[in-house]
Parts: sequence; C-alpha cells; structure tokens
Amino acid sequence: MVYRIKRDELNIFLEGFARKNQLVAPLKGKLAKFELVKEEQVKDIYLEKNTYFPAKEFFFKKNETVFTFKDNKIQEPKLETPKRIFFGLRRCDLNAVKHQDKVFMEQIKDPYYMAARENSYLLGFHCWEAPSKYCFCGTLNLADYYDLMFYDKKDYFLVEVGSDKGKELIKEFKTLFEDIDITITKEEKKIKGADRLLKDDIKGLYDHPDWQKGVNQCLSCAACTNLCPTCYCFELHDETKTSNIQEGKRVRNWSSCQVLDFSRVAGEHVFRQKREERFKHRIYHQLEYFKERYGVNMCVGCGRCIQGCPTRIDFVQIINEMK
Amino acid sequence: MKEKETTEKTSKKSSVKKNLAKKENPYIPKPYKVLEYFRETPDTFTITLDMQIEHDPGQFVQVTLPGIGESPISICSYSNKYVRLNIREVGNVTKALANIKKGDTLLVRGPYGHGYPMKLLKGNNLIIIGGGCGVAPLRGIIDYVEKNREDYKDVHLFLGYRSPKDILFSREIEEWRKQYNLSVTVDQNEKHDFCYDAKTGFVTEALKASNMNNENKVVFICGPPVMMKFVIEILKQKGFNDDQIFISAERLMYCALGVCCHCMIRGKFTCIDGPVFRYDEIKDLKND
Repeated sequence: MVYRIKRDELNIFLEGFARKNQLVAPLKGKLAKFELVKEEQVKDIYLEKNTYFPAKEFFFKKNETVFTFKDNKIQEPKLETPKRIFFGLRRCDLNAVKHQDKVFMEQIKDPYYMAARENSYLLGFHCWEAPSKYCFCGTLNLADYYDLMFYDKKDYFLVEVGSDKGKELIKEFKTLFEDIDITITKEEKKIKGADRLLKDDIKGLYDHPDWQKGVNQCLSCAACTNLCPTCYCFELHDETKTSNIQEGKRVRNWSSCQVLDFSRVAGEHVFRQKREERFKHRIYHQLEYFKERYGVNMCVGCGRCIQGCPTRIDFVQIINEMK
Repeated sequence: MKEKETTEKTSKKSSVKKNLAKKENPYIPKPYKVLEYFRETPDTFTITLDMQIEHDPGQFVQVTLPGIGESPISICSYSNKYVRLNIREVGNVTKALANIKKGDTLLVRGPYGHGYPMKLLKGNNLIIIGGGCGVAPLRGIIDYVEKNREDYKDVHLFLGYRSPKDILFSREIEEWRKQYNLSVTVDQNEKHDFCYDAKTGFVTEALKASNMNNENKVVFICGPPVMMKFVIEILKQKGFNDDQIFISAERLMYCALGVCCHCMIRGKFTCIDGPVFRYDEIKDLKND
C-alpha cells in the first residue's frame, strides 16, 4: 500500500502528532541527533544527512533503573512510555531496531526495552543515495522494517505502509494522505553509493595480519560502540546513597567491549588483554557471531563507528584490502 | 551418542524458551532463606539455601547483595530440597557474602546455563578433575552420582589444592574416599600438616602417574585456566578424544541471559551455551 502526502502537509501531520503525543526526529544542533521535537520545532527537523548519533538511546537506554531496593526488599519500577512517533529513521537505523528487537524481545523478554518499544511507531526516511561517505549498507541485505516509509519526491512524499500500526496511523490522519496505486520496487529501494563493503564473510580471516592496521591506531576509547546503533552490551551496577548503602537502585548502563574492564573477572584476570583481541571481537560480533545466532549481520552499515572514531579507523577498508 | 546429545540440547533449549515466555522480569531475584553457613577454608564458605528448583549439576545462579552487586555462583549440590553454594572470597560481592548468617535471606535468580549432560553419559566411568574452588561445580556431579549410582561405573576423583588448609569439602571427603577412587594433591605442604593422604605436588602429576586409558570414560575438568590446559594435554597423551572431555568455563557475567555479552568466548555465551562445554565445542576458540 502506497500513499502520497504533499510536501507542505508533512509538517501538518507531524505537528498534529507532536501536539497530542510525542514526536522524536532528527534535529541539527552541533551534531545531529534524534530528540523529542515540540510542535513549533517541526519545521527544524533535519533530513539532509544521517544523524551523528543513532536513536538507540530511546529504546535501549544509556542508564536504566532495573529495580530499587531498600534493605533486602526489591521494588520494580513502573514502566510507561507515551505513544511515540519516530520520524526520519534511515534504513540502517530501522534495521538496527530490528536487530535489537531480536535480542531484547526474542532472546529474552526485556521489560524495559519492550515498554519503550511497544508504544512506538517507526517512520522511516528513504535515502536515494548514501548520505555520508562512511555509509556501507548496500551489501548488507537490509530488510524492510518500519510502520511507514517516506520517499522524498521533491513536491510530495510517497508513503509506503509496512505494518498494521502504520495503516492505523494513516487512517487517523486520512485527510492528509492520498491513496495511490503504485508499488515501490526493490530496485528503486536500492541506495546508491553504499556498496563499499566488498565482503561480509570474514570467517577465515581471524588471524590475518592486516587487522593490525586498525589495531595500531585504536585508542580503546569506545566511541565506536557508543555511536553504534546496534551495539547492545551492558553492565549492571548497584548505586547507593552515601549515607545508607542499604538503599539505592540497580542500574543498567551501556558498556563497551573495547575497554579492558569488559572481561575482567574477580582475581584480576582479563580475558581479552590485547587491543587486537578487543578490536577484532567488535568486528566479529558485528559480522559473524551475531549472524551465527540470529541469522543476520548485526552491522547495518551506517558508518557511524568510522565517522566517530578519533583516528578514523575504517574497518571496511581493512576488510576490503585483505587478501 | 552424538546424535542423542543433539536431541537433549535442543530439548533443553526449548525449555529455556518456555521459561522466557512467561512475562516475568528476568532481572529480578527472589528471596531464599539461608539454612546453613559452613566455613570450609580460610577463604571459602558453603551456604545452603532453602531453594527447591529443578537443575542439572554444573548450572549456576546469580546472587544479589543489594548495594554491593550481583555475582554468578555455581551450584555445588544436586538435590530437589536445597541448593548449596560454595563461595570463595575473591570479589566485592563474595567478600560481602562471607558475612551472611544462618537464617538470613539471600536474593537469588536462576538456575542458568547448561550443566553436565549426566543422562547422556550413563554407563561410563567418570573421571572428575578439580583444582581449588573449581571443585565446587564438580561436587554437583558427585551428589548426582550418589543418587544414581547404578547408572555409572567407576568414579575417580583427582582433586588439587594449594595447601592442606585449602582442602574443600572436608565433611564429605571421608565418605568419598570410601565410595570412589580418590587422589588428593596439595601444591605445597612445608609444615607436613595433616591432610588425609594427600600427596604433595600438582594434580597433573597424580593424573600422569595414574594408569588410565580412555575406554568408556568421560572426564570433567574445572579449575584455573593453566591447570585445565595441562590436564587436557595429559589426557590427550593418554589417548582421550575431545568429545570425552567436559570443561566448565568462567567469565565476567552480568545478565546470565545471553544478552549483556561480557561472557562471550568468541561467538559462544558462557551463560547460556555453557558454562559446561564439551571440549570439541570450544577448543578452537582459544581464550578470547
């Protein structure tokens, strides 16, 4: 099902939603990121390029209270998320949500993630061509995973329905959407200039000396994992009041496989002691280990880990050049 | 035997899925009463919990001390009436746990992971090789065998400790000596303290000296990585195949649900694919 909405009516639609519920969309700022957008900010939504930061934080939060405790009693938090529209997610970011759904909704039923996810609508924004020189989603077989997908046609947007939730939304704002009888082909959905990654099968390359090119520049700063829309590793810690350690909360924080502490056990043994092992662990988790378990690459080719790396380690180039 | 094993693994996996289908918050521990606290050695103690759960030997639980944190502890018993945990004071949580008393309440979630596939190994001779607090998860096998003695042939225990005062399970060891072949070693015994009939030296030496072939035998190993490495070398020299050897791995762990990724050994998760692995499943994965 495909609809059409006029360019100037898109904002009416988004403002209408922002008025009643919550709208999350890219705003430019110093570095573009997804933010809660108020009605009067709708005109500032930034769609020119992909965002520097992913939307991950809205579902898999950086800092989540798992429970609070007082003495030995545990209290689960009340989880409520208002109805929330995400607008402007590119194909890579939509697939990142898909991959995190596999972890937090299939592998386990994570109540915190699910609460944030259940009431959200995913509205995609199609890239006709790669919005950044770091993009490489083209060869990663990204799927259609959205409630609605918007295709920019200058004077108007084509809107493709991807789910019942998307259909509902169209119904709610039916005066703005015009039903048209076309389909968008797979060929049309192809993103130009994003075929940078030449091979995603790196199974036999673990001991290849070329990994060293990346390792030698790596600072173990964890920018790559923090900017990644799919990286989902976390830690659990207890935070207490200084006056009374019997009272506090258990929190879940993002954590990064690039730092030494990631595999440090009591007794001070670190299993991935070398930077090389940690660097390769990230790439192999993205392109091999996740696939072994869930049948799909974890990496979605957004290129943020390369763009955000202080030494610009380009693992795509490293893999491409491996013989 | 291999075919059988696959079926058991799949059935276990589906039961795990069933548990997850319940809408319970998987991060929340439940309170259990401490029935007994026993000081084993200067730095280890055993607590018995009023926890009736179905589990396999070799599985583990997550123990919470609010304000300190959570720690994975292997179950060192096999009973449907209680769960026993042998704990060494080595990290923040375990050091704080040492102060627990009989009658206290402990917050626990689990059991987690794949334990030892005892049903599949019926009819075998069992060789159990433990080093230090690595003996704890293996003790579950001993309890299991006690309840199902007719299913297994000879049982040989090789237990290695640092010194006589570090010998674990002193209450049980006399009984084991009567029932099974028992070789205890201590790395050092300078003062010639009493330690049953333990020989001074590494457990690997006792193993080397034993007159053993690989016929109808399975081996369970748990201990420090260095010890496991040398034990496996000796077993290979004695003709053991990789699929006769079961090892128990240790990693940093937060969720125990296959999600947080800290316990990954390459693509395998220690918490849900292990902690017990058949050696051929992870031998190519090295240590990272």
